[in-house]
Amino acid sequence: MTDLFTLAISAILINNIILSKFFGMCPFLGVSRKTSSAIGMGAAVLFVIVGASCITYGLHYLVLVPLGIEYMQLITFILVIASFVQLTEIIIKKFSPVLYKSLGIYLPLITTNCAVLFVAKDNITQGFNISEMLTYSFSVPLGFMLVLYIFSAIRERLDSSKVPASWVGNPIALVVAGLMAIAFTGFAGLV
Amino acid sequence: MPYVYAFLFISVMGALYALLYYCNYKTPVPKGCEDLKTECDGCKVLSCGNNPAQNKIEGDI
Amino acid sequence: MNRKQNFINGFIKENPVFGLYLGLCSALAISTTIDNAIGMGLCVTLVLIFSNVIISAMRKITPSEIRIPVYIVVIATLVTCAEMLIHAFMPSLFTSLGVFISLIVVNCIILGRAEAFASKNGVVDAALDGLGMGLGYTFSLLLISVVRELLATASLTLSNPFTSDIIFQINLTSLEAYKISLFSSPAGAFLTFAAFSAVFAMIKNKSDAKEKGTK
Repeated sequence: MTDLFTLAISAILINNIILSKFFGMCPFLGVSRKTSSAIGMGAAVLFVIVGASCITYGLHYLVLVPLGIEYMQLITFILVIASFVQLTEIIIKKFSPVLYKSLGIYLPLITTNCAVLFVAKDNITQGFNISEMLTYSFSVPLGFMLVLYIFSAIRERLDSSKVPASWVGNPIALVVAGLMAIAFTGFAGLV
Repeated sequence: MPYVYAFLFISVMGALYALLYYCNYKTPVPKGCEDLKTECDGCKVLSCGNNPAQNKIEGDI
Repeated sequence: MNRKQNFINGFIKENPVFGLYLGLCSALAISTTIDNAIGMGLCVTLVLIFSNVIISAMRKITPSEIRIPVYIVVIATLVTCAEMLIHAFMPSLFTSLGVFISLIVVNCIILGRAEAFASKNGVVDAALDGLGMGLGYTFSLLLISVVRELLATASLTLSNPFTSDIIFQINLTSLEAYKISLFSSPAGAFLTFAAFSAVFAMIKNKSDAKEKGTK
């Protein structure tokens, strides 16, 4: 049990997927202007990563390995992730307009999110068993949501302060991200 | 022989994705949600359906 | 004339990394040394050219409702081939780039250019556009990695990826006591990237102001 806890803490804080591994940068800069959209994006990413990694894990060990076609891993995974996102969007559109209003609009963006494909591949590369895979797939998007929330809160304050003309928008946001990365390296000796 | 399995498997997955994408395209957006927008001008992912650049007729060069 | 202007645009005004903020995941993580930067940049350029050519050649027969699935399958196939070729012929590059070669398939640049340009123009135009965008991407990766490698290790090394021989090496031994190892960590990547995007934004603002002034 402590192994799972260590895995979770290291995935959320120490090897944070944005600040120390750089995956998930495209929505990090684009969707982080308001805290409400940051939470919506984080929830959508959480759902897609957990679902897609369960399916890809199962497909790898039940279909790709027995048939001896591991080289098709990339194409299979990306097709599974894309199909899962489309299926999720259909289900949300039909059954819950409220949920669609808060997180359905971010779903098309998650297909090309590096983080989803990275978690799917990493579960295989690190040879996790099922409980480790579930813990890891749950904690990585939690770390993503945490950093995105903090970043959007800072950016809301930045929008109302005076910034030099060429640094307005993304450059100053990247400086903030750099300072956050330095702050998060303080967690390095935690577990 | 494994090559045939690989080709069949990928064709099935690809057809499934195309089918789901088409169903999604045909499913109408729930009422009250037609004009939702994310703040997409910072993202520039042109393949995303939410991007306002999709409304341009000519691709920008 | 128009083609040449578009080609140059891909370097400064519409630089995919600093101007359009596409493909950031790999750009920030790869640019620690110039070996990695050149290897990754050339890989992305080749995949971009081939995918643009294939998608442009197929543009009349793909039904427009399912074009995104078709593009994704084409790009994923090309990236799998590229990964296997790199693993076979350039093993040192494969170990240093690692998982990022597979992540070219979700690189926003490739799908974005396929959607915006290759599906609407001819084969030669699409190939030239792919070349321009890919070289612009390589150029920006090179900029970041030159700064990071110089500041973090006070030396620049370029080696042949096929045989791991060193082509040239610049060692600034006099400055070795002043090296800042922050720049080889993720925080340094963010700060370098922020500085370069500010410089490019300044160049873009100046040229926009000049165009507005002459109108």
